[in-house]
Amino acid sequence: MKRETQNVLLILLGGALVKIVVNGDYLRYVKPAQQPWIIAGGVVMLVLGAVAILRDLVAARAAAKAAALESEAVGPEARESHEGHDHVDDGHGHAHPACSAWLLVVPVLAVFLVAPPALGADSVTRTTARVPQSAATTSAAAFPPLPAGKVVELAMNEVVTRAGWDSNGTMNGRTIGMSGFVVHEGSTTLLARLVISCCAADAAPVTVHLKGGAADRFPSDTWLRVTGQVVAGTADENNGYTPDFAPATVERIAAPKDPYEY
Amino acid sequence: MKILVDNAPEQKRRARRIRVTSIEILCVVLLVAILAQGRLQDLFDVPALRTGATVFVAVCVQALPFLVLGVLISGAIAAFVPARVLERVLPKRAGAAVGVAGLAGVALPGCECASVPVARRLIGQGVAPAAALTFLLAAPAVNPVVLVATAVAFPGRPEMVLARFLGSLATSMVMGWIWARWGKLSWITERAMRRLPDVEPGQRWKVFAETARTDLVEAGGFLVLGALISATLNVLVPAKWFGVLADQVVVGVIVMAVLAVVLALCSEADAFVAASLTAVPMLPKLVFLVVGPAIDVKLFALQAGTFGKSFAVRFAPVTFVVALACATMVGTLALGGAR
Repeated sequence: MKRETQNVLLILLGGALVKIVVNGDYLRYVKPAQQPWIIAGGVVMLVLGAVAILRDLVAARAAAKAAALESEAVGPEARESHEGHDHVDDGHGHAHPACSAWLLVVPVLAVFLVAPPALGADSVTRTTARVPQSAATTSAAAFPPLPAGKVVELAMNEVVTRAGWDSNGTMNGRTIGMSGFVVHEGSTTLLARLVISCCAADAAPVTVHLKGGAADRFPSDTWLRVTGQVVAGTADENNGYTPDFAPATVERIAAPKDPYEY
Repeated sequence: MKILVDNAPEQKRRARRIRVTSIEILCVVLLVAILAQGRLQDLFDVPALRTGATVFVAVCVQALPFLVLGVLISGAIAAFVPARVLERVLPKRAGAAVGVAGLAGVALPGCECASVPVARRLIGQGVAPAAALTFLLAAPAVNPVVLVATAVAFPGRPEMVLARFLGSLATSMVMGWIWARWGKLSWITERAMRRLPDVEPGQRWKVFAETARTDLVEAGGFLVLGALISATLNVLVPAKWFGVLADQVVVGVIVMAVLAVVLALCSEADAFVAASLTAVPMLPKLVFLVVGPAIDVKLFALQAGTFGKSFAVRFAPVTFVVALACATMVGTLALGGAR
């Protein structure tokens, strides 16, 4: 692959990284804490590509000028020495055909043209619900009582963790508000959320079983905000810690900008 | 005679006009892709493909900044650290240099993608390959960021952090000594061994930018390849694998080792994934954490691209076995058996 093409690809790829940070799409792929890394990585790629192109242009112009001057005086000899100089200039690394560099086109196309959506229902059915992350550590630990208020807004990870491990029953009798997307698995309707610790490749779902059929009419991947109560003692190892949830209200909402929990 | 002389440049010019270079191919590829965008998006509307595409982009977005960090360090070594300084700092004997290199891995707080270009540059600057390869394996696993992440993922189990540190350090050093004893330089592609000429003071920034750029282009393609493989396997590997590991430790150890290779998780994230598998005993979890940063499909692609295929097909399987053995041994000692 030619040097110019490599530089163009670097600029495209760096641009793709900067783009997804600027328009917020990066939250579909990684956790928010990665933002400065992606920006820095993208900018460095842009700079490396741009500097190489600029230097090539300057060098080409200087070489052309020198060749024009010298060819009058010396003739073919000058041209030869100029070629030799050129070789030193881009001497290391790409004397071999760097075919692998073509693969850099793939993420560029994927980001600019396909822009894959955040993981959703398909990912949940593919990965059987793993145990929420904090769970391994909080077994039998005392959960702090929930704050006062008519409806307590909680992350789904928190709801499922408390449903599975909180022996004090802090959620009993409390109305919980949370949001997630619909997953139809067989005849059951689940509300799910994916938890990531670094990027979407390590996503693990947390799910609750929506009782009462109020949510059955929504297709998979519809985002809902529900309020209601967790049925005590329904989350255990056999159902992959999926508690039953009796919703009082079910409301359709737009997909949030940051679709994962962390 | 005169006609011949006149014809030659004419033919040359015509040949140049017809020749298709990579820049034209790139333009055509981009043009076709933009024109077919609608169809491309329809194509990716299949749930499995959509999931795979998201995982692919996620791995790329997550790993590319670390690769950039790696190539910047590699460029800095090439431009600002003369080979004779490295020769003076590192012990002469390869065996001792391996030990120093393993501990030096503590200083590079990045994932595995960053360490490949750095290791390659170290070899280029005349560091013994055994020491550079030890650094390659140690850096992603024993650096403070990864150890803190492990401590956060396993609160109340400091022995897990210790076991991970010891297991990974042992893996990298054993691999270094194995290389010093049996490794052959001819397996490593000549391109990776090429020594840069000593840099003149005025040229430092130029060498820095040029080395980083070249390394990035070369390794970037292989990182993308690794991400493609990892995304494919991520979608294809049945989730049941995680479920059946509860009480068969031997099967658990092997399955977790294989999963570490095929899932190709970032070494800063794998502790959280391991911790979330409550059904799995501690020993297989440790194996997952030690094998993952040492060898996975993404790293294999990067190594094949950087050091050459004949290196990677020998180095990767041995690394897998050594990491498995070290993790099992350290785990049995530090975690008190297979609980």
